[in-house]
Amino acid sequence: MSVAISLRNVVKTFGSSRALDGLDLEVATGEVHAYLGPNGAGKTVTIRTLLGLLRPDSGEARLLDGDPWRDAVELHRRIAYVPGDVNLWPSLSGGEIIDMLGRFRGGIDPRRRDELMDRLELDPRKKSRTYSKGNRQKVALVAGLASDAELLILDEPTSGLDPLMETVFQQLIFEVKEQGRTVLLSSHILAEVEKLCDRVTIIRQGRAVQTGTLDDLRVKTRTSISVATARPVEGLDALAGVHGIRTEDQRLHFEVDGDNLEAVITHLGGFGVRSLVSQPPTLEELFLREYGDDVVPDDAAASPA
Amino acid sequence: MSTRTTLEARNGPSAQPQPVAGLGTLIRLIIRRDRVHGPAWVLGIVLLVLVGAASTIGLYNTAEQLQNYADLTSGQAAIKAILGPGYGLENPTQGAVVMDEMALITFIVIALMSIFLMVRHTRADEESGRAELVRAAPVGRLAMLVAASIWLTVLNVLVAVGNAVSMVALGLPAEGSLAFGVAGLGVGLVFMGVAAVAAQLASGGRAATAIAGAALGISYLIRAVGDVGWGWLSWLSPLGWAIGIRAYADERWWVVLPLLALALAMGALAVALSARRDFDAGILPQRPGPARASGLLSTPLGLVFRLQRASLIGWTVGIAIMGLVMGLIADEAQTLAENDSVAELLTPAATGSLTDAYLATMAVMLALAAGGFAVSAALRLRSEESAVRADPVLAGPIGRVRWAAGYVLVAVGGSAVILVVAGLLTGLGTAVSLNDISEVLPVTGAFLAQLPAVFVLIGVTVALMGWVPRWSAIAWAALAFVVIVGLLGDLLQIPHWVRSISPFDHIPLLPAEPMQWLPIVVLTAIGAFLAGIGLVGIRRRDIG
Repeated sequence: MSVAISLRNVVKTFGSSRALDGLDLEVATGEVHAYLGPNGAGKTVTIRTLLGLLRPDSGEARLLDGDPWRDAVELHRRIAYVPGDVNLWPSLSGGEIIDMLGRFRGGIDPRRRDELMDRLELDPRKKSRTYSKGNRQKVALVAGLASDAELLILDEPTSGLDPLMETVFQQLIFEVKEQGRTVLLSSHILAEVEKLCDRVTIIRQGRAVQTGTLDDLRVKTRTSISVATARPVEGLDALAGVHGIRTEDQRLHFEVDGDNLEAVITHLGGFGVRSLVSQPPTLEELFLREYGDDVVPDDAAASPA
Repeated sequence: MSTRTTLEARNGPSAQPQPVAGLGTLIRLIIRRDRVHGPAWVLGIVLLVLVGAASTIGLYNTAEQLQNYADLTSGQAAIKAILGPGYGLENPTQGAVVMDEMALITFIVIALMSIFLMVRHTRADEESGRAELVRAAPVGRLAMLVAASIWLTVLNVLVAVGNAVSMVALGLPAEGSLAFGVAGLGVGLVFMGVAAVAAQLASGGRAATAIAGAALGISYLIRAVGDVGWGWLSWLSPLGWAIGIRAYADERWWVVLPLLALALAMGALAVALSARRDFDAGILPQRPGPARASGLLSTPLGLVFRLQRASLIGWTVGIAIMGLVMGLIADEAQTLAENDSVAELLTPAATGSLTDAYLATMAVMLALAAGGFAVSAALRLRSEESAVRADPVLAGPIGRVRWAAGYVLVAVGGSAVILVVAGLLTGLGTAVSLNDISEVLPVTGAFLAQLPAVFVLIGVTVALMGWVPRWSAIAWAALAFVVIVGLLGDLLQIPHWVRSISPFDHIPLLPAEPMQWLPIVVLTAIGAFLAGIGLVGIRRRDIG
């Protein structure tokens, strides 16, 4: 598997605050990789480091087999970037900005450009001082997606889009994926991440705390189990990784850490399982667990039995 | 707000509109935001006046020295155009000399304070979207305008008191000192009103500042023409009224009335305009832009040029008109100095005529004005960076040096355009007034010869942005320094070593002096070196 982005132990400080604190991030070529984390976790600093706008204090950063700081210009021919906070030149129209950014990278396919503006319903004649946040974002999306860049770096690209446009965006990313291009997508819209992304990295306070496929991540968190057995279950509380055991309506409810699931199921088998409902954690629970300090709200984890 | 009005407000549509609701909170917000800006302006102006006046008084002690000053200035059209008519110099006192040197410059700086701060708290806030948060609160439609006006009135009063007290402390008569302070207050209030009107007309902070700044430039120009030639013209300019208070020279207090009347009229106009427009919209219409980019927007340099095109045109037209008018009154330079002894005093050691000396001064003065464009054009790099508009460009295959060099090129090229156009028009004006076409090319050359000094200013700005980006605004202080040294160096008898820090001091005074290539080459090299250092800094630091 070749690697599009690789950060190892990257540190970036601003004065006394450590924005990136030993960050590791690896994005494989051809995958759509979600980059998640609470506000202020360091997502945008990571992306600006990848763009060569910030110079890391230490650690190793590789982007498309180049050095994002030293080889910035060459690398930027091969990547497209859509910022979350899109700031445009107030006196230029959206169409002018799209053309200009396209020409900087050596020209823009006018058919692709028109098609994208059509699908995203963008009026290119308005001066950008009159665009809403969503429309400014559309300008950046058209400029980014009209290119044939092999790596797309998207920093919360849909935070201002309406649900209809959000769907169009997802379709566009599917198309990008089919073409075998790589996407790094920072987002807070979990449904979008669940639909689009192959792998996920979660950062907190400048460090990656989780990385892997969604299934991988689910293994690392608790699954809720509700089981009815022929004989009363014994010795469950002695097993590793079992939490919150209680009995309700003659069913046993508990949560189990992903790693211990197999041992628990095997143990239950000895008591004549009549019915078993296993509820994997939702993405939302996953994030609440990772964003908050290890807090999975009990009722949220237990209720969907 | 009383309980009664609160109840009325809750009664819904039947309640009275409250155009200035929330005023107190807004004023506190402005004071908090201006806790550095406000005192810096007030102290800066008062100190400028105090130091300038103190050094003048130190230089001109005896009746003979005062008479020398009067003789020196009375013959020079350039000095009248720059500094004003020199009321009271027929029988010179220290007060009259101080006023001749300091009053007009003080009034201009006061006007700039009013313009910058008024736009900052009205239009610029609307443009940035901050004002939207404020207006969504129970705050009246006019509250921001009124709050900014109250704050600026307070600052202007403080400046007036500070200036008057400084003058009295230096031993000048109280009545004249008060007149000087009051005249400055009048100018400050007039341009506060002008800026408030401009903030309603334009839809961006930059454009609003430009409109109000143009009004200030026109006031200055009208007065300059009036003071050199047609005296009645000076009475069409608020700056002419303010100077016309004749501090320390038989004060004419009634000029306060037109100043106050104009300030009130501008304020009323701003209120009326503000009622006719939407939030964040100007009175001047916004047209849709093109759907496709022109060929210009194919390179980063093209983008920089496009962004600054309007500003470059504005600066060029403004400075060129000033040059044309100064050229048209060049013949006055001779009639003013028919007195032989004055002519002897004025004519430099070289072969130049009186007109040449006048034209050389104009070249320096207008090149200093072009320095204003140069610094603001170069500083655009920093403001683009702060507004996170550098990112989309640098995320493309554009190197930082190429990106930053665009700003340097536009600053240098734009300054060259300004100097050539202003030189040509000054030359044409001179040709018309002297009936001698041979002046056009030498005058244009004299203007263009100032370019290396402007380039050094640009170099300083770029070096600051490269190495201490947060302190880039120091470039404005550098500009203020070269302006003061360039325009008042002789009159304030600023020591030569201080003057020689200014690059403009080394440029040969064409057409009064012969051309010297060495300073041109050396200054160009210094400018290139400083710009190069700056680009190196921009290459290696973080962006943002």
